[in-house]
This record gives sequence, structure tokens and C-alpha cells, in this order.
Amino acid sequence: MNAATIAAGAVQLVGGVVLAPLLPGLVQHWKARLQGRRGPTPVQPYRDLRRLWGKSAVAVEGTSVVYRLAPSVVAASLGAAVLLVPVAAQAPDWGLGHDVLVLVGLLALARFAVAASSWDTGNGFSLMGASRDLTLSAFVEGTLLVSLAVATLVTGTTDLRAMIAGSVGGAWSSPLLAIGAVPFAMVVLAETGRQPVDNPDTHLELTMIHEGPLLEYAGRDLAYLQWAIAARHWVVLVIAAQIFLPHPGGPWWQLGILPVALGLLCGLLAVTETLVAKMRLLEVPRLLAVGALVALLGIAARLAGIA
Amino acid sequence: MTGVPLLVGLAAIAVGGVLGAGRRTFTVGLLLQVGGACAVGVAGFWTLAVGGTLGAGFTNALRPSLGVDGLSALFLGALGLVAAPALTFSLRYLPPSPRGRLVSVLTAGFLLVLALVLAARDPVTFLTGWELMTLLPAAVILVARDGDVAARRTVFTYLAVTHLGGVGTWVAVLLLAREGAFGTHATIATGSALQVGIALAALIGMGTKAGVMPLHVWLPRAHPIAPAPVSALMSGVMIKVAVYALVRVLVDWVGVLPIWFGVVVLGAGALSAVGGVTYALFQHELKRLLALHSIENIGIIVLALGACLILRSRGSSAWSAFALAAALLHTVNHAVFKALLFLGAGAFERATGSLELDRLGGLLRRMPWTGGAFLVGAMAIAGLPPLNGFASEWLTMQVLLRLPVYGGVGDGIAGAVALAVLAATAALALLCFVKVVGLVLLGPRRGAGTPGEAPAPMAAAVGVLALGCVVLGVAPGLLFGSLVRLAPWGANAPTHAALRLPGTGSVPGIGIAVLLVALTATLLLMRGRRVAAPAPGWACGQLVEAPLNWTSAGFTKPLRLVLEVVLRPRREITVRTEGGVVQEVTYQGHVPHLIDERIYAPVARAALVVAAHARRLQSGSLGMYVAYLIGLVVVLLGAARIGLFR
Repeated sequence: MNAATIAAGAVQLVGGVVLAPLLPGLVQHWKARLQGRRGPTPVQPYRDLRRLWGKSAVAVEGTSVVYRLAPSVVAASLGAAVLLVPVAAQAPDWGLGHDVLVLVGLLALARFAVAASSWDTGNGFSLMGASRDLTLSAFVEGTLLVSLAVATLVTGTTDLRAMIAGSVGGAWSSPLLAIGAVPFAMVVLAETGRQPVDNPDTHLELTMIHEGPLLEYAGRDLAYLQWAIAARHWVVLVIAAQIFLPHPGGPWWQLGILPVALGLLCGLLAVTETLVAKMRLLEVPRLLAVGALVALLGIAARLAGIA
Repeated sequence: MTGVPLLVGLAAIAVGGVLGAGRRTFTVGLLLQVGGACAVGVAGFWTLAVGGTLGAGFTNALRPSLGVDGLSALFLGALGLVAAPALTFSLRYLPPSPRGRLVSVLTAGFLLVLALVLAARDPVTFLTGWELMTLLPAAVILVARDGDVAARRTVFTYLAVTHLGGVGTWVAVLLLAREGAFGTHATIATGSALQVGIALAALIGMGTKAGVMPLHVWLPRAHPIAPAPVSALMSGVMIKVAVYALVRVLVDWVGVLPIWFGVVVLGAGALSAVGGVTYALFQHELKRLLALHSIENIGIIVLALGACLILRSRGSSAWSAFALAAALLHTVNHAVFKALLFLGAGAFERATGSLELDRLGGLLRRMPWTGGAFLVGAMAIAGLPPLNGFASEWLTMQVLLRLPVYGGVGDGIAGAVALAVLAATAALALLCFVKVVGLVLLGPRRGAGTPGEAPAPMAAAVGVLALGCVVLGVAPGLLFGSLVRLAPWGANAPTHAALRLPGTGSVPGIGIAVLLVALTATLLLMRGRRVAAPAPGWACGQLVEAPLNWTSAGFTKPLRLVLEVVLRPRREITVRTEGGVVQEVTYQGHVPHLIDERIYAPVARAALVVAAHARRLQSGSLGMYVAYLIGLVVVLLGAARIGLFR
């Protein structure tokens, strides 16, 4: 294990676990600025987490072990996801491998735990959010897999380390990756719960998707769930930055450029949230279908020898 | 040497079946059968592991011969793996009444027939076993549902559809035997009309029995009305025997098929996968929902099979073998978790008297063992790591990802679309099983009565299967290596506990499981026990009351709206007013099964019309029949005269 691997491991741990809440914080901060408000500082998510950490959790009457376990399972799946997604082509193996399809499975596990906990409390608003989240996830996962098929066609593998190494290039090494970036951008919007798919600022229960199932939680349970949302930002944005965006070869360059790329992506999310209104829920599958079609056309062009 | 336990096991099932007929020996008979099933399972997996063969090899001659090779051994192993818990479950599920005893005897016969198909080494034995395999479960349903008119009609539909479709099996097997290809490949020319004809006949005949869409209509009708252990055997093993036959014919005996045929198989798999899960989502009866999920999982298996055929035609024998292994691994995995879910459903029905999803609820606290095992099974079928459903779905996705890499435009795009369909299917299965877990296990009790934990044998049966889900999920690689070696063109993969494919990612199941458990435990410890006093759910200030409980239809409404264009759900709202005042509003909604309504119903109507016309021929008068005969003779003579028979 050389210095680069150790550094990549450290960035992965520190970034994924400690710095992840900064990403949604930055998006909120910049969004407020763009909209002419002062808004919260980028470290607001940390303050929220500290406040929640000091509070008691709640015990809802008539719930089972599923309700109590769910926040820990969600945070554990996202923790495993953080360990699974490398930040550079050289990264230590934490015993999980680096397969991107395993990542899809881990995110699904988190989704299952959240939705099951909503059934346990029987809260209608939670269930509304969970049912919408799971309905959209069918289309999100379909689109995600097609965009990953594009990346696999370029790099020949689903191992994220090899994918990062295989997609290195100053400009896009292959035009196909630029095409794959379109559907993946939509997946990023959906997985991070951003407009036009979901509105993270909403406090109207009827319009919530991702926030809805968290309604019955408080204290450290809620802190885990909030951290998990931040970690989800980290995971998908790192993949976007290191595979679908142009990135340099060489571990030190890759580590050095990562904060810039993440900042850029957060800025893009803030701009998107400012410019685009939330879509009607039933329109979102169409948006994702357009993304999937773009990727399929890209694959067809590649196989026909055009791209 | 594994032949001895196999024969002893089958003999024990036979003797146990006979003993099960007696009132006093009922329990002993069932226990003997459990032991026999265990022996068959162990012998099957052992034969697979050592790569041996037993008994005769395949013959095209029409004389009975029996034998076991690696592929048969795998399915015999799966048979034992499902049958042992199912029979243990029967110990308390089946009453020792005359009817229960008859069901137990027929079940033993069913097991032996399944083994007969798997061990058949000549066309006649195979076809005999194949037909008996259809008839015995029909008999079980008729006995168990004695006097139920609807069940009798359903059994008739089941027999009619499987026999009509079964013609394909006969055509395929007899043509193979004529060509001397029953058991050997390389006797039929690639791309010839004969080869494609045999493959299509097999796909239709065996696809019907496996429940591949659009030939599946019998499955969601017949599986739910059987007793729970028999449902487990039908979904867990019987439709898998059809997969066994498909693998034999398509992958081995007909040789390398043209690429377009692989794409057709891929298409059938994709349709079954997404169609099965979509219609399962809108069911409100647990066993019917599970039956539709069998179609979904058969779809996933057929997807992998299609990828296997395409990759083989494209000359990638290693990846083709991995695709075959993916199909076979999912076959075993589905057998385990579907048997678990059907047995769990049986236990819930026994405890609550209902299988209506909206009438269950809160069973995890009342039946912690059965409910916990059912939760594991639901997570496994939803494809969540680190359970077995995830391992085989991961493998299937990996082989589908290879289609664009090795293929041309057509099959490459077909592979990418199939991949998206599989991902969507997995997500929809998650939606469906969250709903099932929520409505059955979690939340408040929705029906009457206070059910308690299932009797020990029933809980043990589902518990063992849940353990199987975990073991096969954590260490799928142990089975994977042997499955790759089953490819008839000879392929090899090293045996690890983890799933590893050359040149791409891996699933280190043990690492994932250990890490998830360790992280969850740490986080639970960090969370501490400090909680506020128990209070009712907040629900944004509403009190969560029974009328506000969410239903199965409510949870799937967003999806129903999104897919409205395709599914065409119907709803009827009737408002009764008296003197301008609304007295009552009733709402009825349902999602019609399009394939039933658009394809089968018109065909059935047309068949009835034709039959009505044909009936006029049967006037009953002797003179008429004599006229028919004379007419026939005249026509034949005329035909001979103009030289039609030369």
C-alpha cells in the first residue's frame, strides 16, 4: 500500500463521513444567495446534527423492532456505500469490493428500511412519501443502470476503481461518457432529492417525497437519517465527478481536483434548483425516460461505429 | 457413491408416502419423507460438487432408462432443499383427516414424479413424468378443495392451458429423439429450420409450464389455491423443472442457436419480469401476489438464459457460461425464498384465517419467528444485499452488461434495454415487498382475533429457509463455481465464497454482511437508549385511527397513475343521492389483466363459437353418421384417384 492509496483512503473516510453534510449545506447556501436571500451558512447541517444529537429519540406506541432499527440500518448502508465508492483510481479495499451494482443494492436497502419504518408507524404522510419514493425509484434505477451500461461500455468493468482509471481524460475521453452524463445527471437530481424531482425545502407534508418518511423520527435517529441524506449526496456526486466528468489521471491529481469538481456540482445543483420549478410527480418518469433514451441512443451509436 | 443416499432418499419418500395414508402412521410417514427429502438434497448437491454422474446416460431409444448428471443433480438438490422444509411444515399444517392424508400421499407422489423428470434419460420416461407432473398437483388441489366450484374451474383452466402449451414439449422432444439429439448436441445444423422449430416448440411448451409471459395465465390461478406446502413445491420446484428442460434443450441439445432467437428469449424474459411484478403489485391476496412474483422471477431466469444464448452465438463461451450460472443460481435462490414466502403465507392464513393483505397487519410482534423469517424472505426476493436474491440479480445484471460489449447493434441494445427492465423490476419488487411487509407484519392489527406464534415445525421450516437465504447470499460463490462447470461447452471458474467475475467487479458477500451488521450494531450502541415516553404516532397532528390506515391500493396508487396509459385501470364511483343529499358513495377500482382480457378471452370466446358450430355435426341420428362415413370414403377414393397419396 503506497502513499497515494493511504491518502485516497483518508480522503474517502474523512470526506464521506465528516465532510458529507457540507455538500447539502453548500447547495442550500448558494441557492439562497442566488435567490437574493442571505440563507443559512454552509455549516448549518452540522448545527442541525449537533442539536439532534442532544435530543431524545421518540418511541411511537405500537411500533416494532423495525421502527427502532431502521435509522441505524439506513446509516449503516450509507456508511458501507461511502466505503465502497473510491475517490481515486487507487483506493484501499475495505472488504466490500468496489462494485457499482453493489452500491445500487446498498441504496435499495436504505430505501427499504425507511419505507418499512413508515408502515410500522402507520403515518399516512410518511407512507405517501415512501410510496412516491419507491415508485420513482423504479424509473431512477432503470435510468441509472443504462447510464452505467454506457460507462461499462467505455471502461469494460463495473469496478469503480477501474472505471475511474478507464474514463481518465482532459476533455471527455470518449464522447460516449458525455452522453452517459445526461441520464446520470437526472439520477443525481432524483437520488439527492433536488428540484425538479423533489423539493428539499418543502415543509408541506403533502408535497414531500424524501422528507416524508422521516416525520416520525427525532433525536439521534433523525440525526442518522439526516446524515444518510448527506452521505447520499457524497456518493452520487463523487461518482459523477470521477467517472462522468472529465478528470485527470494520476492519484494526486484526482484527489486534488475532487473538491473543485464537487464544489462545481453543488453549484450546478443550486443553479438548477433556482431555475427549475418542481415537476408534477407523474411527469418525473418521463424526464427519466428521456435520459434513458439518450443513453440508449449513445450505446446504439457506439455499436454502429459512429461514436 | 452418492447414488446410495439418493436412492435411499427416494425410497424413504415413497415409503413415507404410503405410511402417510394411515391415520396412526401419518406423522411417522411425514417424518420419513422429511428424512428422504434431506437425503435427496444432500445427494444432489454432493453429486454437483464432485461433478459425478450416476446411472445411465441419455438415449434416443424408446426404452426406460434413468440416470443423474450435474444439471439433474442441481435440480434434485433444489428439490430436496424445498421439499424437506415443506414436508416439515406439513406436519402441523395438514390435519390427519382423510383429506389431509390423501393430500400427503399425493404430495409424496408429486415429489417422486418431479425426481422422475429430472432423472429421465429417454424421451418416453421424460414425457410420462412431464404429464404426471402436471396432473398430480391438479389432483392435490381437487382433493384439498373438495366441493369448491371455483377451484374446480381453475384446475380445468390450468390443465387446459398447460396441455395446449404442452404440445410444444411433445413436438420438441419427439423431434429431438427423431434426430438422435435427445442428450447429444451437434447433430442438428445451426440455423436450420429444424433447429429453430425445435427451439420455438420447446420455448412454447416448456415456457408454458414455467409460466413465461404471455403463456403464464394458469400460474397465478393455480398456485394460490393449493395447500401452502404444495404451493411451495409448485413455485419452488415444479416450474423450475420446466427451466431445467429449457436449459437442456436450448443451451445443450439444439446446438448454437441464431442470435435473433436469443433476443426473442431475452424479450420473453423481460416481459415476464416486468409484467409479473407489475401485476403482482396490484393484488390484494397474498398467495396470488406471490404466484405473480414467480412469473417475475422466472422472467429474470429467462433473461439470463437469453443472455447465455446470445453470448454463446457471439462466441464468448466464458461469459455465456456465467450467464447460464446466473440463471441456475437464481433458480435455486428463487426456490428457497419463494418456498419460504409461501410457507409463511400458509402460517399466517392458519393463524388469522385470512390472506387478504388489508386484513392482516402487526404479525411481526405476534409471530416473531415466522414473521422474522418472512421478513428475511421478503428482503431476499426484493434483491437486497447481503441476501441471496441480490447475488443472483447482480450476476444477471453483469451478464446483461456484457451484451453491448460483445454484441452488435441489435443484441447490444436489446441487452441494455433488458438491463433497464431488470433494474426497474428489482425496484418494483422492492415496492411490492415493502407493501407486503408493511401490511402483513408491521403496523396495527387490521383483522379480527389475536393470532399467536405458529407451531414449532412450521416456524422451524420457515426459519431453515431464511437461513438458506442468508447463507446463499453471503457465500454464493460456493455454488457458482459448480454451476459454471455445468456449461456443456466446458467452462471453468475458481470457487471462492465471494462472487468474482474476471475483469469486472465482485460481490464479497461475507465482507458486506459483516460490515453492515457491525456498522448497524455500532450505530445502535451510539444511539443509546434515551427515548421519550411512548406516545402515539405524531402524523402531523392527526391521530392515526383505523379508518386512516393505508391500504394496498393506496400505497401503489402513484405507480398506477404513472402506468395508467399501459395498464388502463378501471374505477367505478357510484353516488346514491336522496332528495339532493348524498347518502352513500361507493368506490371500486381494479387493474384488469391485459393479457387475459386482450388475448386469452377473445381466443376462448372464438373457441367456444367454433365448438358450438362443430356440435351441430353431432346430430345423434344414425343416418347422419352413415352419411358422414360414406362421404369420407368417397372423398378418400377421389383423392386417391387424382393421385394425392402417391
